[in-house]
Amino acid sequence: MKSRRSSNLLIEPPSCATGDIAFNLIVFFLVCASVAPDSGRKQQLPRSEETPQKKEQKSQNVEVALTRTTATINGDPVRTREFLPRLRTLLANKQRPEDRVVVVKSRNDTPYDFWITVTGLIEDAGGTVTIQREEERTITVGP
Amino acid sequence: MKIARKTYKVEVPSVAMGDIAFNLLIFFVILAKAQDDTHLNWTPAETTKIESAGASRVSVLIDNNSKLYLNGQQIGISQLAGEVKQLLGDSPAGDRTVLMKVHRDAQAMLFEPVIEAVSEAGGDLVHILEKQQSD
Repeated sequence: MKSRRSSNLLIEPPSCATGDIAFNLIVFFLVCASVAPDSGRKQQLPRSEETPQKKEQKSQNVEVALTRTTATINGDPVRTREFLPRLRTLLANKQRPEDRVVVVKSRNDTPYDFWITVTGLIEDAGGTVTIQREEERTITVGP
Repeated sequence: MKIARKTYKVEVPSVAMGDIAFNLLIFFVILAKAQDDTHLNWTPAETTKIESAGASRVSVLIDNNSKLYLNGQQIGISQLAGEVKQLLGDSPAGDRTVLMKVHRDAQAMLFEPVIEAVSEAGGDLVHILEKQQSD
């Protein structure tokens, strides 16, 4: 009589390296998270300089003054939601790039969050942001 | 009669050597990253439109304690323009990106001089911001 031997042995996948694989995966995703590309908003900054012509020009430009929570356009207080249409109206008739400069004067305690919101609105309205600091040095910012 | 003792061959397990080497490689790559400022605490401001900042070798950061850092190292505002200029060297336009990471509550008296210093150094400024969640 021929006996038939069963060859169905239980085969398990090797699991000795599972811990190492898990550890490597953790390291891989940590590294991916730490080198995630930054994103934000670009601004071109020509070198700051002051000329008499620029001083004269400045008086014709729109002026935005910022405090901790408020913004004014040419001295008139404006709410954030009304800021964009108001500025668009003021810049509508100005075609030359130098006429579309908006001078931003910030009080020392103006928070960055608010400054970014307002300068973003100025750029959306087609204006070129120029920062004017208290000591009267100007920096042109914008596209 | 002397019975010879059976000897077993003992080897150091070498299964994980590749993994260990890989981990060491990653570890040193992270350490070698020149402008690592991941240890600093700051919260980015929010905006509606953001775009990729691209590659940059200069990063300026104002943290939640109003301290100024250049590539992860604390620096004074008076030294900033010179250091940024040195780091940018003779890089052509388009390769002079300076990442500006400012804590959302930082005040104008702190961040405006930084913008001025980057301007003096001839850097292309990119504000690092977070996308505002729609209401």
